[in-house]
Amino acid sequence: MTTTVSATGLTLRYGGTRALDDVSLQLTRGVTGLLGPNGAGKTTLLRVLATVLPPDRGEFTVLGHDPGTAGGRRSARRTIGYLPQSPGFHPDFTAFEFVDYVAILKELTDRGARHREVRRVLEEVGLGEVRGRRMKRLSGGMRQRVALAAALAGDPGFLVLDEPTVGLDPEQRMRFRELVARRGEGRTVLLSTHQTEDVAMLCHRVVVLAEGRVRFEGTPAELTARAAGRVWRSTERDPGARAGWRTGTGDFRNVGHPPEGADLLEPTLEDGYLLVLDASRAEVTAP
Amino acid sequence: MSTTVLRPAGPVAAAARAAYPVAAVLALARFEARELSRQISVAAYLLLYTGYTAYVLIARGGGMADFPVLQDADRNTQTAPLLLAIALLACVNRAALRSRRCGTDEQFGGLVVRPWQRTVAHALSAAPYAVYTALVVAVRFGRQAVEPGAVGHGSLAELAVGPLSVLLAGALGVLLARLVPYSMASLLFVATAYVLAIYLSATTDLPHGVRWLSPVVSEPGETPVPSALLGRPAGWHALYLAGLCVLLPGIAVLVDGGRTRAVKTATVLALLATAAGAIGQAPGGAGALRAARARATDRPAALQTCVAHAGSAYCAFPEWAGQTDDWAAVVDRVRSAAGGTAATTALTVRQRVDARGHGDGTDIALAPSTTPGEVTVGTRWGGDRVPEFAAGVAGVLVAGREDAAGELCGARAVTAVWLAVGTDPHPWAAYRALRPAEDDVEAASVDTPTEPLTLSAAQSEVLAQLLRRPAATVAARVRAHWNELTAPRTTTAEVAHLLAVPPLRGTDNCDP
Repeated sequence: MTTTVSATGLTLRYGGTRALDDVSLQLTRGVTGLLGPNGAGKTTLLRVLATVLPPDRGEFTVLGHDPGTAGGRRSARRTIGYLPQSPGFHPDFTAFEFVDYVAILKELTDRGARHREVRRVLEEVGLGEVRGRRMKRLSGGMRQRVALAAALAGDPGFLVLDEPTVGLDPEQRMRFRELVARRGEGRTVLLSTHQTEDVAMLCHRVVVLAEGRVRFEGTPAELTARAAGRVWRSTERDPGARAGWRTGTGDFRNVGHPPEGADLLEPTLEDGYLLVLDASRAEVTAP
Repeated sequence: MSTTVLRPAGPVAAAARAAYPVAAVLALARFEARELSRQISVAAYLLLYTGYTAYVLIARGGGMADFPVLQDADRNTQTAPLLLAIALLACVNRAALRSRRCGTDEQFGGLVVRPWQRTVAHALSAAPYAVYTALVVAVRFGRQAVEPGAVGHGSLAELAVGPLSVLLAGALGVLLARLVPYSMASLLFVATAYVLAIYLSATTDLPHGVRWLSPVVSEPGETPVPSALLGRPAGWHALYLAGLCVLLPGIAVLVDGGRTRAVKTATVLALLATAAGAIGQAPGGAGALRAARARATDRPAALQTCVAHAGSAYCAFPEWAGQTDDWAAVVDRVRSAAGGTAATTALTVRQRVDARGHGDGTDIALAPSTTPGEVTVGTRWGGDRVPEFAAGVAGVLVAGREDAAGELCGARAVTAVWLAVGTDPHPWAAYRALRPAEDDVEAASVDTPTEPLTLSAAQSEVLAQLLRRPAATVAARVRAHWNELTAPRTTTAEVAHLLAVPPLRGTDNCDP
């Protein structure tokens, strides 16, 4: 597959904290999920790739453009759609005006074409009917979708979404998945989330970040496979398990190193993710 | 893995995308300008400004408005846009702080148009309002300039002050937003500036250089002077304001990180222009101006051109040369009812102005001329100034000299005032305009371009009687009894008798 976004050795410090530590990754067309615990550096990585923050070290390219140079950054920004974790809103703008404003900041200056584009993206996120409503009158989920529409304006080739499903109800999340899946066809989408099921359903690739470092990069199936033979069922919580919880059937589902003759279960992506995190913690605490 | 450059944007987006970065800034400025128009204060003051100007244009007409002095009319366009400017200052400031206030800085931080370019757009968003102000100023001034009675010369630099003040307000709003990123800052600034402006306007002895740092510098007093005597460094002031309009946003953009060569160059050039304007508008040649004003006050003849009409001379400052026909028409009218030698005596109508105190808030009354046969006319014309001039003419026809007319008594005062107003197409209106008294028959002074004439109650009573009779009938009697009516010893009671009005009750204390 052709690499569309490539990062090598990205490092960024906040004071004494190393938020990104020599991060290298390759993204291709389609949806790539970015998983990691709180404080793993996911948002920092997205901000760097969205060219909001410059890295202290390392380099990256976005659709062939090098944001390390002024011209390259400008070219890269023309290709990026960025939805931050907590997008802000201009309360007195209508949904249309807000997206229109962002579209201008993306250099869409032909008024007629821009307005058509704004209507299109608002339709795409399902807000065509309320485009004339002021932002302060929209629900939280609607505002989130307006911000998504703003990110989509200009048809960016690289879409950076930072926990976009936070605050969405199940139906909205389902619609959101549809939308992102559509966007992922022919374009590059990097989706940061805590929802492993979103990754399982949407992503063709997954990156796990912990302690500012890439701990896993591969397909969801490969991540799931990390837990093959390491998930088992028991009637009591297995003290040797890394994680274990009682399921709806009353049995315990354990993840870790199963005892001899354990009743093995089919692993999920979440099991694989937990084991990757567990391994990374062990690596960090190892002498 | 290989890295491939991909063409990211779809056909719609590609078609809409700007060919030049400046196009995005202009589109953003247009967007922000539209947003400004939705702010209540901007919309209200825009409406108020437009409405006020429309009212001035529609309601004007007649009186002195028909004879505008253009070197004053240009300046009169400067204060009306100030409310709009203040509204723009506050609203542009608020708009420039919007991203910070609403937490969209991060969202927009990765977009193509940089924060400093947004700052440029905010500064430019005031431009349509400046253009609109320029249009309103042009219409208002143009309307006055095309009046047949207009005199003098307007200054493009003075006309530019209104629009530049509006533009400057936007620039100031942007700079404040970048230096003090709190909405309250603009309100505090406006309040402080208001108090300062009140102080400046009340303190006339402020140094010239300090007064002229304010965008609008008014000149107290109403008496127009020839434009060469105005002493207003309008061109330098316009340069100073224009420089500030670029300098302030330039600083804001530099603070915002837009340290491109073009921004630096524009800011430095603006700084030079502002400094040049500020230095240029400082008083230079004040002594020469004082001398020129003294010359125009004491020896106006040296600066004037005269035209002859029906044996009389009409001498005006060059900018007022077009008004001599109007003066001559008044002289002809007044003289038409005079008798004896007054009907043919050559007069010199001399335009005079006391320019010495121009701009210091005092309108000094002109002293009467001591030259026989010379009549003073001021630099305002139309409205009440016409019967006042007629009274001045009549006073000289009766008394022979302007400085003697103020002491007219008995029959001569009645004759002079009747000549002035009785020959007017609207005698009562002219009479009442001349004597600001509530009752037509009480004692009053009668305005002239110099010293007023004085009417006693008895004289006023006789005049009221005369004005109720046909002017032609009275004029015939005036001509027939001219020598008696202009004799110093003829009493008011005798006037009543000579002009066939009912006899007075009692005596007149003005009688000789």
